[in-house]
Amino acid sequence: MTPKGADAMLVAAAQRGSTEAFARLVQRHQQAVRAFLRRACGDWALADDLAQETFLAAWGRIGQLRAGASVRAWLCGISYRKHLSALRSGSRRRARDARYERERPPAAATMTDERLALEAAMAELPADQRACVALCLAADFSHAEAAAALALPLGTVKSHVARGRARLLQVLGDGDA
Amino acid sequence: MREADERLKALFAADEPPATDPAFSAAVMEAVLRREFVAELALLAGAAAVGALTLWAVWPALAPAVEAVSEAVAPLAATLALAIGTIFLLRGPRRAPAPAES
Repeated sequence: MTPKGADAMLVAAAQRGSTEAFARLVQRHQQAVRAFLRRACGDWALADDLAQETFLAAWGRIGQLRAGASVRAWLCGISYRKHLSALRSGSRRRARDARYERERPPAAATMTDERLALEAAMAELPADQRACVALCLAADFSHAEAAAALALPLGTVKSHVARGRARLLQVLGDGDA
Repeated sequence: MREADERLKALFAADEPPATDPAFSAAVMEAVLRREFVAELALLAGAAAVGALTLWAVWPALAPAVEAVSEAVAPLAATLALAIGTIFLLRGPRRAPAPAES
């Protein structure tokens, strides 16, 4: 069975109230959602909190997911909106800073200069541009998929990705920027 | 261009969480089941409150009729209530099963 076919079956079962099917959806998509949030917000502990909230919200709204729709894109859309809400409530971010510092591996020990530069450059991008880069350059979303997930116009996504890519490559000292 | 994109992708790959993370999945499902439990509890409490209020409202009209038939049907009603309660307890909440993955 194709991954999309398996997703469709699990979604249908979850829509009938099966928590076991939803648990399998969580297992299948936790990596994509958490990776997107880590790249979109840069704070791993906050990203995992938001990912958990994303799945909780998804369970509440599973009935709204159309048959055949991409589960991954739908979940990333929910997580993006959670991320924007978290950005608006800055206090929440500050409250978690201490935990983030504790849980995250020490940067100097595990990250190369390039990784640090990439992270710093990502942090400078506006939230919507960063989300577009995280989906299209890091997670292989098509521009159309990202536009649907983030509820942004296709042209906006394309220009965000192009500008974000150029900025990241410029910071990394790539002549291709 | 392709090389630059591959380079970016390789750098982004460091953010990738593990493909399977039982601890994360368990935490999510614990939260989901807790929410389900609270919702069911709220529903049952609401239904019980509505039932109690209805009974309280109609009791003056109902009381004479209940008194009249209580002696005759009390054993039957008690047995039925016990049987229905036992069946519900043994069956537990009904949920759709997850489809088998091939």
